[in-house]
Amino acid sequence: MSDRRENRGDLLQGTLDMLVLQTLRWGPAHGYSISQAIRSSSKDVFRVETGSLYPALHRLEKRRLVRAEWKTSDNKQRAKYYRLTAAGRRHLTREHSRFRQLVEAVHALMRARGQEG
Amino acid sequence: MRRPSWLGGRSDAEIDEEIETHLQMAIRERIERGEEPREARRRALLEFGNATLAKEETRSVWTWIRLEQLATDLQIGARILWRAPALSAAASVLIALVIGGNTTIFSMVHGVLAKPAPGVVADRLVTLGWVTDGEEHPAGSFPHYLQVAAASKTVSPMLAFEFQRFVLTTRDGSYAIQGANVSTNYFDTLAIRPIAGRAFNEREGRLDASGLVAVISHRLWREQFAESRDVVGQTVIVNGHVATIIGVAPPPFRGVMFGEGSDVWLPLVAYAQVDRRSAELANPLAPFFVMIGRLAPGVSRSEAQAELATIAKQMPRVPGDPVRSRTIQLFPYSATAAGDSLVAQRGPWFLAMFSIITALTLLIVCANVANLMLARAVVRSREMAVRQSFGASHARIVTIFAAEALAIAATAWAAAAIFAFWTTRALPRLMQRFDGDGSRIAFDFTPDWQVLGYAMLLALAGTAIVGAAPAIRTCRQDLQPLLKAGEQGVVQGRSTVSSGLVVLQLAFSVLLLTSAGLAYRSLSVLTARDLGFDTDKLLLVTINTRAAAPTPDANAMLLATMVERLRGVRGVTAASYARRPVQSWWSVEPIATGTDGKPLLAEFNLVGPGYLAAMGVRPLAGRDFDDREADRGAIPVAVNQHLAAALWPGQPAIGRTLRLRSLPQPVVVAAVVPNAFYSGYGRPSDPNFVFVSASRLPQQLGEMTLFVRYSGALDDIVPAVSRTLRAVDDRAPIVYARTLSEQLQSLTWPIHALAILLASFAVASLLIATIGQYAAVAFTMRRRTRDFGVRMALGASADDIRVAVLREGLGLTAIGLAIGGALSLATAAALRSMLFGVTPTDARTYAGVFALLAAASLVACYIPARRASRIDPMLALREL
Repeated sequence: MSDRRENRGDLLQGTLDMLVLQTLRWGPAHGYSISQAIRSSSKDVFRVETGSLYPALHRLEKRRLVRAEWKTSDNKQRAKYYRLTAAGRRHLTREHSRFRQLVEAVHALMRARGQEG
Repeated sequence: MRRPSWLGGRSDAEIDEEIETHLQMAIRERIERGEEPREARRRALLEFGNATLAKEETRSVWTWIRLEQLATDLQIGARILWRAPALSAAASVLIALVIGGNTTIFSMVHGVLAKPAPGVVADRLVTLGWVTDGEEHPAGSFPHYLQVAAASKTVSPMLAFEFQRFVLTTRDGSYAIQGANVSTNYFDTLAIRPIAGRAFNEREGRLDASGLVAVISHRLWREQFAESRDVVGQTVIVNGHVATIIGVAPPPFRGVMFGEGSDVWLPLVAYAQVDRRSAELANPLAPFFVMIGRLAPGVSRSEAQAELATIAKQMPRVPGDPVRSRTIQLFPYSATAAGDSLVAQRGPWFLAMFSIITALTLLIVCANVANLMLARAVVRSREMAVRQSFGASHARIVTIFAAEALAIAATAWAAAAIFAFWTTRALPRLMQRFDGDGSRIAFDFTPDWQVLGYAMLLALAGTAIVGAAPAIRTCRQDLQPLLKAGEQGVVQGRSTVSSGLVVLQLAFSVLLLTSAGLAYRSLSVLTARDLGFDTDKLLLVTINTRAAAPTPDANAMLLATMVERLRGVRGVTAASYARRPVQSWWSVEPIATGTDGKPLLAEFNLVGPGYLAAMGVRPLAGRDFDDREADRGAIPVAVNQHLAAALWPGQPAIGRTLRLRSLPQPVVVAAVVPNAFYSGYGRPSDPNFVFVSASRLPQQLGEMTLFVRYSGALDDIVPAVSRTLRAVDDRAPIVYARTLSEQLQSLTWPIHALAILLASFAVASLLIATIGQYAAVAFTMRRRTRDFGVRMALGASADDIRVAVLREGLGLTAIGLAIGGALSLATAAALRSMLFGVTPTDARTYAGVFALLAAASLVACYIPARRASRIDPMLALREL
C-alpha cells in the first residue's frame, strides 16, 4: 500500500471507523443509511465521502468488526446490511475512550497555549 | 480488470452492486424530496464523487497480494522490453549465453568429477590417497594397505586394487583386455552383486586347492560365453594362467576408475602367487594399489581423515625407506578420483576453479545488464518521476523494474536451457576424438536437472542484481528537476554504482585473460619445446607377451624376432622396443656416485637393440645397442650428456662403470646421447636419462612397446605391422597402436581443453567488459549532454570535450586493471600446477593482457567521446 495513502488514512480512518461502528450500535444498516446517519447526527459537519465509506466498511468487515448480509430494504430494494459484531462492540468502546483521551489532550494543549498567548 | 471471487474477499460484481445501490438510494431520496429526476441524478453523482475510484479502493481492501497490480506491472515490463528490442535482446542473449555456458560446464565438471563409475553407488565411498613427503600419490603398497585396513574403524570395509592389462586366450585367439587385481572384499565394499555366481570369498585371497578364480564382466560373458547359464565353473586363460570363473559382474560395471573398462577381476594375492610376484607384493615400498573404502555408519569424512592420519603416523618405518613422512588423504569417491589421472588429483581444485569462473562470469554479465538497465533508467527517469508523483510507492517502482528483469531472466533461462541441452550432447561426441592411451573414454554429460536448477538459481540471482540497481537509483532520485520539462541535463555527479560495475568487470576480465593467457603460453611452450628427437612418423605399438613368452629369455627371443621381422616390412625404416613408451610413467633411478651423499636421479628405461636409431638419435659418443649384447661381458647402458657431465665432468664417459640402485651388478657406459626429452613433455628442465639394454635385463615380462619408424602412409604401415606381429606369435596381442604425436596429445589435451575453456570465457568477458564500459560511458555522456552543450557554448573545443570524456572513462580502466592485476597475481599461484615452462607471474602475458584491455577500453570510451564532442550546443541547450 502506498505510504502516502496510509498517512492520510491513519488520521481519518480511525475516526471514520469509530463513527461507522457508533452508527451501527442502533441496529443493522446499509451504506447509504450509515452515511446519512453520520451526516445528520453530526449536524451536517461530517459528510462521509463514499470513496472512503465503502473501503472503511469493507475493512471493518475484513477485520470481523462488522458482519454483512444482503437483505431487501423497506422500499423493496436489495441492499447490503452491516451489523456490529461482539468484537466490533469491544473495539468501539476501546476506540471511543482513546478518542476521548486524544480530544482531552488536544484540548488541554490548546488551553495551555491560550493562557500563554 | 475483473477479479473472480475465488481469489478471496468480495467479488467485483458485489462491490459494483453495493455502490450502485447506494447511488440509487441517494437519487430516490432526492426525488422524494421533490427534485426533478434528471437533476437528482446529476447531483447525486456529483455528491458521490468518483465511483470508479471508490470501487477500486474498496476492492483493494480485499486484495491480499495485489495480483492485479503485479500483472499490470508485468504487462508494462513486457511492453517496455518490446519497445526496446535491441536492448532487451542484448540483455537476454548475454544472460542466456553465460547461464547456458555455465550450465554446460557445470554438467561437464559434474559428469567428469563428481559421478561415480557406471554401476557403482558412491554413497559414503571414499578414495584414499597417500601423501609422501608432501607429494600426492594415488597408490600405496600392499603391506601398507593391510595395516591401514586392519587398523581403521572409520573406513570399513576397505578394498585395494591394481589396474592391469591382461592377455585373454580363448579358442579363437588372444586378446588384450583390461582388468584388475583386487582384494577379496572388492565387490562387497562396492556393494556390487554378481548377476551370476558369487563374488570372492576370503579363502580365495590365498591360493589353495581351488586354484585361481576370476569374476568376469557382463560384456565378456556376452561376447565370449554367449551369456551361457553355466558359465560359473568354466575357465579362462589370463596371461597364460588358468582361472575358474566364479561370477559375472552386473552389466554397467566395468571397474571403479574413469574409463577403466575392466573385463576380468582376479584376487590379488593368489594371482601374485601364480605369477611369481609374491615378493614384489610383500615389498612395503612398491606402490601399486589404489584404496577405496566405505565410511562406517555415522562417521564423517573429517573424523575418518583424523583417524587415518593417526594410523599413518603410527606405521612402523621400513628400513631403507627414503620417504620421511607418509600420511593419508581422503577424497570423496568419484570415477576420476580413483585413478592416477591428472584430473583425479586435481579434482576438487578443478571444481573450485570452475565454480569461481562461473560465478565471476555471471557477475560480470549481470553487472553489464544492470548497466544497460541503468542507462535506460535514466531515459525513463521522467516516466518514473511521474509515476512517483502520482503516488506510486517505492515498492511499486521496484516491482516494475523487477518485472522487467524477470522477463529478461525468464527468456534468458529458457534459451540457456536449450543451449545447455544442445552442448551437453554435442560435446561428448567432440571429445570422443581424444582417446588417450588406447582405452576409449566415454563421457557422460547427461543434462542434469540438478544443474538446470542451479542455472535457474543463477538466473534469479542475476535478476535480483539487474533489477535492484535501477530501482535503487530511481527511488533515491529527486523528483522535482525531473518533472520540469526534461531536465535531464542536470549533472548529478557520476553514478557510483555504475562506475563500480565497470571497474569490477574490467578487473574480472584481467583475471580471466591472464589465466587463459598463461594456459596458452604454457601450451605453446610445451608443444614448441623441441623434444630433441624426431617426433614425426614414429609408430608406437604396445604388445603384451605374457601369454606368449613364459620366461624372460623366451620374452627376449620373441621381441628380437618381432623387431627383426618388422625391419623387413615395406616402409619401415627402423624398429626397436622399450619397456616404457614416450609420454608415460618412467621410473626414476637413483645413481650411486660413490663420492658424496646426495644421489643423482635419472629417468630409467629398458630398451632393445637399435633403440637410438629408431628414436632418430645419433650418439655423441659410443654406439647404439645391437643384437649381440648378450655375448658381451658387462651390461651396456646409454646415458645422456647431462648425466655424463654430472658424473664425469670434462672427461670421456665411454667405458666408465656406474651403479644403479636397483641392479646388483655394475653397468658400463656404451653411449652418450644428446640431451633430449626422451620421456616426453612435462618433465623437469634438465632431466637425466639412463637406458639399459633390455636384451641383458629381460626380467620384465608383460607389456613392451615397439618403436616403428616408418616412411610413407600410416594407413599402409599399421595393417602390415599388425599382420607381421600376428604371424610371429598370435598369443602376443597388440594392446594399442598409435603414433607418437597421438601419444603426446594425451598430456596436452587436458591443458588444451582448459586453455580453450578459459580463452572462450576470457574472450566473452572482454567483449562484455568492452560493451559494459561503452554502455556506462555512453550513459554518463547522455546525462551530461546539456552540460557539454553549455561548456561548448562557453568556448570549449571539441577536443576538450573528447579529452574530458576519455579521461573519465580511462580512469576507470586504470583502476580496473590495477585491481585485476592484483587479483590475478593472487589467483595465479593456484594455477602453478597446470603451468609448464611459464611462471604464474609471466610478464609477457600480463603486458599483453593489459595492452589488449587498454586498447579495447579506449575504443569503448572513444565512440561516446566523439559523439559528445559533436554535440550542437544550441540544440543541446534547447532540446534538453
